[in-house]
Amino acid sequence: MTSLDPAPNKTWELSLYELQRKPQEVITDSTEIAVSPRSLHSELMCPICLDMLKKTMTTKECLHRFCSDCIVTALRSGNKECPTCRKKLVSKRSLRADPNFDLLISKIYPSREEYEAIQEKVMAKFNQTQSQQALVNSINEGIKLQSQNRPQRFRTKGGGGGGGGGGNGNGAANVAAPPAPGAPTAVGRNASNQLHVHDTASNDSNSNTNSIDRENRDPGHSGTSAASAITSASNAAPSSSANSGASTSATRMQVDDASNPPSMRSTPSPVPSNSSSSKPKRAMSVLTSERSEESESDSQMDCRTEGDSNIDTEGEGSGELGTNDEIELVFKPHPTEMSADNQLIRALKENCVRYIKTTANATVDHLSKYLAMRLTLDLGADLPEACRVLNFCIYVAPQPQQLVILNGNQTLHQVNDKFWKVNKPMEMYYSWKKT
Amino acid sequence: MAQNISPEQSGGAGGGGTKHSDDSMPVKDNHAVSKRLHKELMNLMMANEKGISAFPDGENIFKWVGTIAGPRNTVYSGQTYRLSLDFPNSYPYAAPVVKFLTSCFHPNVDLQGAICLDILKDKWSALYDVRTILLSIQSLLGEPNNESPLNAQAAMMWNDQKEYKKYLDAFYEKHKDT
Repeated sequence: MTSLDPAPNKTWELSLYELQRKPQEVITDSTEIAVSPRSLHSELMCPICLDMLKKTMTTKECLHRFCSDCIVTALRSGNKECPTCRKKLVSKRSLRADPNFDLLISKIYPSREEYEAIQEKVMAKFNQTQSQQALVNSINEGIKLQSQNRPQRFRTKGGGGGGGGGGNGNGAANVAAPPAPGAPTAVGRNASNQLHVHDTASNDSNSNTNSIDRENRDPGHSGTSAASAITSASNAAPSSSANSGASTSATRMQVDDASNPPSMRSTPSPVPSNSSSSKPKRAMSVLTSERSEESESDSQMDCRTEGDSNIDTEGEGSGELGTNDEIELVFKPHPTEMSADNQLIRALKENCVRYIKTTANATVDHLSKYLAMRLTLDLGADLPEACRVLNFCIYVAPQPQQLVILNGNQTLHQVNDKFWKVNKPMEMYYSWKKT
Repeated sequence: MAQNISPEQSGGAGGGGTKHSDDSMPVKDNHAVSKRLHKELMNLMMANEKGISAFPDGENIFKWVGTIAGPRNTVYSGQTYRLSLDFPNSYPYAAPVVKFLTSCFHPNVDLQGAICLDILKDKWSALYDVRTILLSIQSLLGEPNNESPLNAQAAMMWNDQKEYKKYLDAFYEKHKDT
């Protein structure tokens, strides 16, 4: 609108949101903001062809964007109005080309050909699927993968009140942190973790920007980005939990926390009362946080959380569209099948009862796998050869003395709804699977 | 707000309107159309919208079947309606032909299932998609336009909702098999 406009006293009706909103603060430091592929895609998409904008045209009055071809066809074939808001569009002259926006897109997607080729391929595959069921499955697969890609993340690099700059800062803090007693390899392990975090962090930012073209189109492709997201999530947490005595990683953790998806929440864990002062304060691993009754072996477990959370994230990965529910479990050996004279229980001693907090969409199978790994780690070399095969049946006890064996593919949420209901940690039991 | 209009206004009765406009319209290649429909399908499945659903009817991506749940707090609540959506080659520049497969006693739906709704005729915009169409029809169920009825009897009865509901129940009883 220029001042020459014949209707200068036009009133602009702003919505309450538009009246109240403040400009976003300009980011001047090296903070990186990750935008979810989905929201980015909705910005760069033409609402007519639902594809990425091509030769962007913007309506002069209402500023809605379309592909040049799309809007021209729309104006020729339909009403002379903006398809988005119905504002009158007299002719092509009500539009202007938007080269800056095209430039922006080409910055984000340097190779449009590649993007389109992948899309074509996926579409062809999509068309090939003959049965409806296969179609539904492939779509569900896509939905899952996308839900994994969704994590929106803030990362602070360098700067800002001792927020350790990537791997280096944390690595240094790591050395300064007193190694946990009974875990002489802790520093070495953590250092390698740090490397991991650094690696995956940079991978992750790649996958965030790139995964648009992959998300939901080619399961194989998006699988990789999803996987990198998972590993980065699972690696980032244990490493900072392992040396959370150092404030640097703690801050990093919080930053991550604030914007992470609900399932990636870490909860501060109560420090066991008889823990020695030199032991690093323990943070829980991301997805499954566990507290052993016995605290002597805590430190030993700390440096092993890496293995754990990897397993747990695997479980989470196949979970459905992020439920943020968490479930607390008490995990005990089966009273009759796994009595005190059982080999495994003897080896585990007090460690046989476990408190677990995990996402509600983990399945019983995940739990069983997790348990197997956890117990193997706890026992290490002490485990008698005969017990190496760790196949567990999982039971729930809706009433004392009444154990119900659980089907592997039920989620904990379902189990809880079906058998437990009361608002206290769900009591579950494990026993060896009878062969 | 979508207003319903008589199909006669846009030339040709019932679903004829879009067919007529098809010829005069620049037809984008089929590929682009099926691409958009596939994308819609994808989005629809991800949105998991309550009260509506739609899926291609068999192998042809240009023919879909949708379902609408009768809106709550209306005489139609508790009912489920099946609809057919036929997409022209000029989609999304032209509206699909949408028809009720389930018999629907409604002021703006005729006994053959044709629907009288402006956004499916002259108020169509390329931005509408299966989802918004089904949502619009769903809201039309609860808020009919009795000024231009296709089913005059329904329009006359609408004012007495109690009586209408009674008639509706008898109607469903009669059309159980459809």
